This record gives sequence, C-alpha cells and structure tokens, in this order.
Amino acid sequence: MKTVALPLFVVMCFAQWLIPGKMIYDSETVIVEGTTYKFKTQPIDPSDPFRGKYITLNFEANSIVTAQNAHWESGEDVFITFTTDSAGFAKASGVFRERPDTESFLKTSVNYYNTYENFEVFFNIPFDRFYLEESKASQAEQLYWQAQSDTLQVAYGLVTIGKGQAVLTDVMINDKSVINIINELNADKD
Amino acid sequence: MSKQILKELSDLVNAQVITDETAEKIKSYYSGQVSHSTNRLFIVFGILGALLVGMGIVLIIAHNWDILPKVVKLATGLLPLLIGQTIAGVLIFKKSDNRTFREATGAFLFAAVAISISIVSQVYNIEGSLGNFLLVWTSLTLPIVYVLRSSMASLLYISGITWYACEVSYFSYPHGHAWWYWLLLILILPFYYLEFLKDGNKNNFFYFHSWLLALSLTVCLGVFADNHGELIMIAYMGLFSAFVIVSELPTFNTGRVISNAFLVIGSLGVIISLLILSFDFYWSEVIDSKNLTEGIEFAVSIITTLIASVLLFIHLRGKSLTEINSKSFAFIVFIALFSIGLSAPTMAQLLTNVVILVFAVNTIRNGAQRNHLGILNYGLLIITALILCRFFDTDFSFVVRGLLFISVGIGFFATNFYMVRRRKRQA
Repeated sequence: MKTVALPLFVVMCFAQWLIPGKMIYDSETVIVEGTTYKFKTQPIDPSDPFRGKYITLNFEANSIVTAQNAHWESGEDVFITFTTDSAGFAKASGVFRERPDTESFLKTSVNYYNTYENFEVFFNIPFDRFYLEESKASQAEQLYWQAQSDTLQVAYGLVTIGKGQAVLTDVMINDKSVINIINELNADKD
Repeated sequence: MSKQILKELSDLVNAQVITDETAEKIKSYYSGQVSHSTNRLFIVFGILGALLVGMGIVLIIAHNWDILPKVVKLATGLLPLLIGQTIAGVLIFKKSDNRTFREATGAFLFAAVAISISIVSQVYNIEGSLGNFLLVWTSLTLPIVYVLRSSMASLLYISGITWYACEVSYFSYPHGHAWWYWLLLILILPFYYLEFLKDGNKNNFFYFHSWLLALSLTVCLGVFADNHGELIMIAYMGLFSAFVIVSELPTFNTGRVISNAFLVIGSLGVIISLLILSFDFYWSEVIDSKNLTEGIEFAVSIITTLIASVLLFIHLRGKSLTEINSKSFAFIVFIALFSIGLSAPTMAQLLTNVVILVFAVNTIRNGAQRNHLGILNYGLLIITALILCRFFDTDFSFVVRGLLFISVGIGFFATNFYMVRRRKRQA
C-alpha cells in the first residue's frame, strides 16, 4: 500500500480541490457572463446542518403554460428560458427538451404537469436558498412576511442565469438588499 | 487487574508460589502493556480532538459571517482542507507510522472536505440535494482511508455512505435508488481485508468495522424494496444467514458474542424477521403477488442466496452439520416456506411458527451443551417472543395464554437453576 500512497495522495489532493474549484469557477462564470433577472418571491426560514441558516424562497415564476399537450413527465430534464414582464420581473418564456440556442437558459427538471385547465409545466427552481448570517435569518423571514402582507412592498430574488446554471446573488425588499435592511434595523436598536 | 496482580507479586514470591525471576517477568510484561494502553488512549483523544475541531469549524462556518467579503469567506472555508492535506503530505513523505497522527489527520481531513464543499455552496447559494452532497463528500474522502491507512476515516466513510443511501432511498421524496452505495461499499472492502483480515488483526477498530459494515448492509439492503417488497425478505434471509456463517469462520470469529457483530446481527436478524413473518399480513401479500421475477428484488434475492450458498458450502467442507449454527440454514428454509406460501399461505404461516420453535429449541440445546447461560436464555427469549406474537393474533383463551406464559416462566427458572447447579458441581 505504501508504494501507491504518494500517487494516490496527489490524485486525492487534486480531486478534493477540483470539486470546490469547479463549483467556484462555474458560479463566477454565471455571475460574469449570465443575464440577471428579478424573481418575485415568498420566504420560509429553515436550517442546514452544514451550511447554516437560510431562507427558502418561494418563487412565483415556477411554471409555464404550453400551447399543446407535450406529455411532460415529472422529474424529466428540461431547459427553461426567461423574459421579463411589464413590471420588470422574470417569467418563463419557453420550455425545451433540448438545449436552446439562447444566451441564457436554466437547466432543471419538471416538478409536475398540470393538464386540468390548460397545459401548464411546473418546474423545480434550483436556486431557492439564500444563506444568511445565523442571527439574521429569522429577522429576514419576518421582514419578508411583512412585505408579503403589505401589498405596497415587493420582495424578489436577484438571479443571474447563464447557460444552464443560475446563481442567486441577493434578496431584495423594495429594491433594497435584505442584509442591508437588517443591518440598518440592528443599528437603529443600538 | 494488572495493578492487583503487581501488588500481590511480593506475597506470591514470599509464599514461594513463584520465583523472583518469574515476578520480574510479570512486572516487565505489564509495564509493556501500560505503554500500549497509553498509546491507545492517545489515538482515541487524537481522533476525538480532530473530530471536535472539524465539527467546530463546520459550525463557525455555518454562522455565515456577513461582514466578511466573499474571497475571505472562501479562503477561510478552504483553509482546513489545505492544513489537513499538508499534515497528511508530511506524514506520507516522512513515511510516518505514528498511528495517532494518521487517525487524527484522517478524521480532520474528512471534516475539511465537507467544510470546503459547504462554504462554496453557502457563498454562491447553491442549493443541491443532501444526497448528492453526501455522495461527493464520501467519494472524495475514500482515498484518505488508503493514503493514511486511517481506520477512523474508514469508519466515518462507511457511516457517510450509509447516510447517503438512506437519504436517497428512504428520507427523500420521490425515492431514488442509491446505486453508488454498492460501488462505494465495495471500494472500502480491500481496506477491511488488508488492515484486519489479512494478518488476523482483531483490534477494537476491527470490531467497530464489523459492526458498522453489518449494520450498514442490513439497513441498505431494504433500498431495493419496490413493487415486490415481499421478495426482499428472501434477500434479507440470505444476508442474515451469510452473516451467521461468516461469524463462524476463523477469520471473523472473535470468541466473544458481543464483539462478533456478524453473529449478533445475523442471528437476531433471522429470528426477528421470522417473528414478523409469523403474522398473516405478509403471507396474504405473498399469495397476491404477480410477476415476481420482473422486479429488482428478484435479482437481489438471487444474489444474496447465491452468496449464502457459497459461504455455506465452504463452511460445510470443514465441519459436520451438527457443528454449524442452525440459523445458517435459515435462507434455505425460508425459500421453502415462501414457495409453500405462494399456494398455501396459512400453511406457510403455521410452518414459520414451527421453524422459530425449532431454532429456539436448538439454541437452548446449544447453550446447555456449551454451558453458556447467555445462549440458553436467548433460546428461551425466542420462545417468549413467539408466544407474545401469538398473544395478539390467536383465538386462544386467556387461560391458555396464561398457562403458556407460566410454562415459559417456569422453563426460564428451571433451566437457569439447572445450569447454575451444574456449574457449581463442575467447579
């Protein structure tokens, strides 16, 4: 075992840096080259044993109505393209089985296919977690619920979408970052 | 124990029971053992320390410091990986055999890999499923086991792949098949062989590995249960029988019941499964089952049965039928019961009760022959459990059930009394 220890150690080190390295590279590429959208949202506040506290965002743009029945299966891989509505928020503009030839699209899977009233594809959103400092997660949640009950306030996630991948960069309430709002609130208390 | 003997050495020399020379030999023997146990203590505290530091860093990272810029957060999260790899590198280059360092570094590096992936996911809000995270984490930690020859990293790895299989196949919805678990499990087996079985190295790490492997297999075999869940019981009987056979092979036999994980889990697995199968709900499913050969459960049942058969064949070459634990044959008996159950479920259910009774009587007989109170009482407990099960689903009157319990109670008392008296007489 000793003879292979050194080459195996080199391979191990390479692999252990490759995975986080690739994750960083992919995310940075999306941030630099992707298109940024505003996704309207509602939140809840859970916790992850490894990554800490986060708010789960419940995005409204999670479905698209198709013109005809294309028999989408739950769990099937799909590619979604987005556009913006009149208020400037993201909405799905197309659903494809093959990689579309567009500047930005999201690779995800079908959640379920509703054929009751019209042919509507509900898809999974792979960027619905926003990690916050431990002490701020529940405050952020409260702010969100206030924003939801107050129809004048608008909450949305800033999402940059590249070729398949997406990165959630910030969560905003009335065009102001949720982290800044909490910091200001805490400063006022002090 | 050793201190007690050392204290009495002078008395033994004075009473001319042992010579001065023998007393010196005993002293030097125990002084050697003291350094051995101190070393073991260092390993335990080294591992505990590394794990605590690792988990501490996980929690500090999980706090998610808003004031830190992205680059600092990433650098902080990746630093433990660099430290762990550097220490591991030094140990390899120096060809160090320091067990404490190897085990502690293995445990720390195991945590560092999780920290590195977590920090990137946290900074970029990458959701990812827990199942995928566990798969990547455990895959990246497998080389640690071999590079550092770290038994602790191996134990953490086995726990990790078991968690992954459970997460994918049991805890998440919709359930998936944790196929990677089987490959990852196979990849750790060479370490188990090289470190323990090859040289017959039966230390505490060997016992922990055996326990974890047996438990992991028992928990994860169920992931195959799908549309033909009733067939998975054949697979389980094959697995438990294989455990019982393996436990009797010289390579795995530890001489003590508690440290022989394969014996405990195999034997209990056979009995508990049979007790569950002695109820009618299972057999009513069996008679309704169709196209049994089409599911994955059929293939898995064939594989476990084949493994148990080969092991039994090997085991039978060196021993006679009566020398082998009767539960080694449980898989053959159960296949016969299952075949009967396909056409006559009531008969199969009745026969299951008979099989349990036969195993119980055999266990009691075995305990009496070996003068082992634990085994004897285990046999009696099997009978008690069987009666308890029948307590719930038979039409026996309360009087009959009461008499049955009294009979078993008297049986417990009488057999134990007889064994204790026999021991006294032999003494």
